[in-house]
Amino acid sequence: MFDLFSDIFTYRDNALARIDPRAKLAIALAALVAVVTAERIVLPLCVFGLCLGTVVGLRIPAKLIAVRLAAPLSIVAVLVVLQTFLTGATPIFAFTLAGWEFTAKAEGLRQGMLLGARVLGAVSVVFLLSVVTPAHRIFQALRWFRLSRNWLEIAVLMYRYIFVLMESAADLAAAQKLRLGYTTKGRALRSFTALAGATIVHSLEQAERTHNAMRLRGYRGVMPFGPLPALGRRDRMILAFCLAGIASARLLEWGAGR
Amino acid sequence: MKAISATGVHFTYDDGTEALSGIDFHVEEGEFIAILGSNGSGKTTLINLLVGLIKARAGRIMIGGQAIGELSAEELYQRVGLVFQNPNDQLFAATVEEDCAFGPRNLNLPEAEVQQRVTESLSAVAALPLRGRAIHHLSFGEQKRVSLAGVMAMRPSVLILDEPTAGLDPAGEAQMMQLLKKLNREEGLTVILATHSVDMLPLFANRIYVLDQGRVLQEGPSEEIFCHQEMIDRAKLRLPYISRLMYEMKRHDGVPIDGLPLTIGEAREQLLELIPKELIIAGMGEKRP
Repeated sequence: MFDLFSDIFTYRDNALARIDPRAKLAIALAALVAVVTAERIVLPLCVFGLCLGTVVGLRIPAKLIAVRLAAPLSIVAVLVVLQTFLTGATPIFAFTLAGWEFTAKAEGLRQGMLLGARVLGAVSVVFLLSVVTPAHRIFQALRWFRLSRNWLEIAVLMYRYIFVLMESAADLAAAQKLRLGYTTKGRALRSFTALAGATIVHSLEQAERTHNAMRLRGYRGVMPFGPLPALGRRDRMILAFCLAGIASARLLEWGAGR
Repeated sequence: MKAISATGVHFTYDDGTEALSGIDFHVEEGEFIAILGSNGSGKTTLINLLVGLIKARAGRIMIGGQAIGELSAEELYQRVGLVFQNPNDQLFAATVEEDCAFGPRNLNLPEAEVQQRVTESLSAVAALPLRGRAIHHLSFGEQKRVSLAGVMAMRPSVLILDEPTAGLDPAGEAQMMQLLKKLNREEGLTVILATHSVDMLPLFANRIYVLDQGRVLQEGPSEEIFCHQEMIDRAKLRLPYISRLMYEMKRHDGVPIDGLPLTIGEAREQLLELIPKELIIAGMGEKRP
């Protein structure tokens, strides 16, 4: 559970970590647009392979990669199955299950694979960004993109208190386990419900205490953020080079489709 | 001049619980004051009143000679800073630097001044190497020091701490108390701490207020407070362990101890006077300053 949110690897020093977060965010956004608008599966799969290869090259543990990719991979599987059996006209194969006849269709399979590739490509871009940039630096970069201050303020607080509430929930869950709270399905359901309720109550109490602490340090409804330095020459060059590369790849893909 | 003065303060919670009744609490500038009391004695309520988080139902609270209600939030929080018991309550930014800069930026200070305050406050609590670290990667002791730095960056003249040593290991506890002593003696900060941990207080506190059920049971220097065993029992507190040992030796074994030593140093001096010199082997002990 904790691995899903662990950001310990973002503090490792490497070439990607040293790039200005604004440049990384702009590159990631461009890659996302290219992947999501791709008309064939080659570009998204290339992006997926490149990002995954980089993540492995950065020696991110396989377990963390598996945990973070588990949910998107499940979505991809469901997408491919649904599209294959629900859309299209040219049958590939058919079978009967519990009196229902299912027919896989070529157009549906193609569409499902394209959607799946887009999801994988997009998720891998965000995953790579998240292992080379600490969350607070992404928030700083988002300010550069003129994102709403209120949204950013909430995001900063959410990110900070996810870890506090997770610790509190983990302690509660351990206390429940030690008193046999998860020995049967019924007990597990009751224990989990109680855990969820207690965590909500804790979060409300925590919010009140934090608000008091903020007031005591001059908070008046707007969280102050420090100034952003100008984007360095090296980072501008990296940004230009990567954006040109992404645009070329997208144009190439578009041209190949014509 | 009085840094803080509370006279005849009453506070009742909405559910009818009378938390404070007729409290008189006065602190001179540069003093190191301890508010001692068991759980539910009213320590935290008193602290919350002193920093304006809640308003007294009756009585008068003055900060630096001005009524608390007359001060704007900006003025008040540059005079009084509160360090919460649980550092997670007040460390809300993602990194140490961002958290320490929160207060100065709210004061609309120029960025150079903000950075200078961050450096100074982190240096004061020996946490400068933590500057770029994420808050959730810090140990509990580090979080405690960083939360203190965040408040110090507001440059208050009065520092109030709610159970500053709660949850710390013995080394961390000693380090925190030494740090507070340094801030008090060298930086001239007025320090008020609420605690029920008694062992270190005689070493640091100029005066102690003992609270019980929302009232001040007694107020005075450590030696005056801890010689009233009955009052200490009534407040559901205890003597420092070393004092308890000496008290029992005096009461049960008839050891002729003068007064009641409150620190290991005082107890050692008294015991050395009682031990015949021929029993002390020369050169065996480490010399103490």
